[in-house]
Amino acid sequence: MSEQQSLAGIALTIVGTPRWSLEPDPRTPPGDPATLLIIDTDGVITAFSGKVEYGQGIRNGFAMEIADELDVAVDSVRIILGDTDLVPQDRGTTGSASTRTVGIQLRRAAATARLTLIDLAATRLEVGAGSLKTLDGRVVSEESPAGVEYADLLSGQTLTVDIPDVVEVKAVEEFQLMGRPARRIDAISRVTGAATYAQDVVVPGMLYGKILRPPSYGAKLAQVDSARAERVSGVVSVVQDGDFVGVVAEREDAAEYAVEAIRARWEESRDTASDWNIPALLKERAENPTSLREDGDLDLAFVSAERVFENTYYVPYVSNAQMEPSASVARWDGDHLTVWCANRGPFAERDSLAEMFGLDTSQVRVIAAEIGGSFGTKTPTVSHEAARLARAVDAPVRVSYDRAEEFGWSTVRPAATFEVKSGVDAGGKIVAWDYTAFHAGENAFRGQRGADTPYDVDNVRIAVAASESPLQSGSYRSLGGATNHFAREVHMDEIAIGLGLDPLEFRLSNLSHARLRACLVAAAKTFGWASREKRPGVGYGLAIGYDAGSFTAQCVEVLVENGEARVIRVMVGFDCGLVVNPDGARNQIEGSIVMGMGTALWEAVEFDGGRVLNAGFARYRVPRITDTPEIEVVFTGDDDMPSSGAGEPGIVPIAAAIANAVRDATGTAIEELPIVPRL
Amino acid sequence: MHLKVNDESHEVTVDAERTLLSVLRHELGLTGTKYGCGEGNCGACTVLIDGEATRSCITPVTSAGGREITTIEGLANGDKLHPVQEAFVEHTAFQCAYCTSGFIMSSAALLDRTPSPSDEQIQSALSGHICRCGAYVRILKAVKSAAEQDGVE
Ligand code: FES
Ligand code: FES
Repeated sequence: MSEQQSLAGIALTIVGTPRWSLEPDPRTPPGDPATLLIIDTDGVITAFSGKVEYGQGIRNGFAMEIADELDVAVDSVRIILGDTDLVPQDRGTTGSASTRTVGIQLRRAAATARLTLIDLAATRLEVGAGSLKTLDGRVVSEESPAGVEYADLLSGQTLTVDIPDVVEVKAVEEFQLMGRPARRIDAISRVTGAATYAQDVVVPGMLYGKILRPPSYGAKLAQVDSARAERVSGVVSVVQDGDFVGVVAEREDAAEYAVEAIRARWEESRDTASDWNIPALLKERAENPTSLREDGDLDLAFVSAERVFENTYYVPYVSNAQMEPSASVARWDGDHLTVWCANRGPFAERDSLAEMFGLDTSQVRVIAAEIGGSFGTKTPTVSHEAARLARAVDAPVRVSYDRAEEFGWSTVRPAATFEVKSGVDAGGKIVAWDYTAFHAGENAFRGQRGADTPYDVDNVRIAVAASESPLQSGSYRSLGGATNHFAREVHMDEIAIGLGLDPLEFRLSNLSHARLRACLVAAAKTFGWASREKRPGVGYGLAIGYDAGSFTAQCVEVLVENGEARVIRVMVGFDCGLVVNPDGARNQIEGSIVMGMGTALWEAVEFDGGRVLNAGFARYRVPRITDTPEIEVVFTGDDDMPSSGAGEPGIVPIAAAIANAVRDATGTAIEELPIVPRL
Repeated sequence: MHLKVNDESHEVTVDAERTLLSVLRHELGLTGTKYGCGEGNCGACTVLIDGEATRSCITPVTSAGGREITTIEGLANGDKLHPVQEAFVEHTAFQCAYCTSGFIMSSAALLDRTPSPSDEQIQSALSGHICRCGAYVRILKAVKSAAEQDGVE
């Protein structure tokens, strides 16, 4: 039984086409019309979105927007996310477009519902719609302040209304909930252990699967003997299909023992890449760079420049290491497949499963569970594995990664090498900027994110190249954005220091972008940049960033002593337009900063010959509560600007700001991450 | 064997080598306690054993026999949340909340022993936990406010 069917009875259905972008985009056809919002006869409002919740508080954001448009309490709104049989088609939850595009469409749906309710009341009360308004779940008027409850208006109705082309949503001044701090509507289930994550999904008759992993990337299975595994008590089956070998058992521990009992011989690829030689290899193994921008005459500009700076920067592979290891449950009902998982793109996952098994997409249902952190990883592989095993044994199967599998076999943030050459004139204006980035992995187009410079410069070349990756690279918080910003913003300090200029003044004198300037000025002011005091071991640094339609600047204080670096405080200027839920946005920004701090100071995947060498938290240092700096966020955005992302942009400048601060403390330039092992 | 979890007795027939975490989650269906690393390095699996914060992923189930085990599901008193749970809600001290059960259990154990801990005491009690979403600023605030709340009551 679907959730939709379990409702009391639907009185009002609002239908619209899902949108991919804020403004209708002629290049991409709109999605099929779908139910976006329903109100049942009890007055309970349910909205549907193909987005998923991975901790960004999206459910709450949507609920607030709908509650505001419909003038109801936020807890009378239910949000159904990421169930491909129930929700409108979606293109995946890439942090920042979520609140913007879907949020606006849901607001339009809610506004349509409000207008429908007003019309119903006008007919009922025999008054003009113009004299009516909505308040606390009722339609009221001057004459009738008690008004009529929505549930009352809807009783006996079964209406379906299309969102009209033009529907007015409320103005910012009319918001009651949006823009104010609020507790998350899912908070109770999160603190009582009731929320169901992919790891927690249990289906009747479910068996436990475990996959045989190769010893290294690219290894090919030469020989396998599973006789011992089959004899382990509790084992149902050992499934083999080419290189894919997995055990299905009645219990998780039995599956684990059995996989270890399989005797396998592998032919390893013996790739010579390791974390030691990768910075240079990235350039050697790269395809030709794609040019993103070529302005002016770079050669001439370098000849005429007063000073030229040229550096190479490097950012290693880092592990997403989200707290919930990947997990999935798959169940076949005849030729219909249902998969529970923690994927950010349930529709893409449905399509990939359909393709894998030669099914029509209507035969596959993907249900997104709560996601225990993602930051972009959680590739569909785990669902594919569960579905293959489930098909082989004809029973529901759960596959969950252990921590070592998660470190070794889920995707990592691509390593990247950057070559930056800049020229400045005698007045400290940047006149030439030549930037080439080599991002590991075929998805290097994503490495284009944040590659361009936001500073004023007339002669520019920006190029990005994809480089062969010895590890399986994948997404991450602001993939590309965070790494490109590191190179650019560290280089900005290189120039400033070379010219003997204050890093803040130097940036401001080369930056006319109003929103970025506002962030930078706000961060510097809150920080007390102008009055910062030089003390032994203490350093100050700043950086700016743009990502996902938002802008930010961060000022950082660090303390470097005894071979460790400690971030003391971070002051943030942040512009994401209208702030729907300030507390939620702050939470995301703080989290981005803590995460980015890990990449700046300690994190790097160590590997050699396709083997990950530090596949566990004991050898992969992540930020802990004892590392946490003081963080303050000042929102500088304009309420009239549409909301843009707050989930990712916070990470983009932090590594550079920390590196610049460490340089300020120690006098040594930081050109490679992570910092602490190099201190 | 016999397990006492959240004031309820359970008879379970399990392999002695299994961890308490695995039995709680897969035999008793108490999935609020999370698997994060299985190596004692992240704290996601923390439960109370006789009031002591313990990592269930490295605790053999046999060693928990006959002792009082409390999981996140048993921390609230009926509908009334434990003050630490209350404070985590109040401060939204999580994002994905996968780490939250563990943090709450350790914080509850801390406040039980040390009703008014210093910042350093809170940090050191929670230093074995990882929150990859980086909600630490809020977690610290939440535990502090729970301590104050408790003092008032
Ligand atoms: S799961 Fe037990 S400490 Fe990580
Ligand atoms: S809230 Fe996601 S790991 Fe802590």
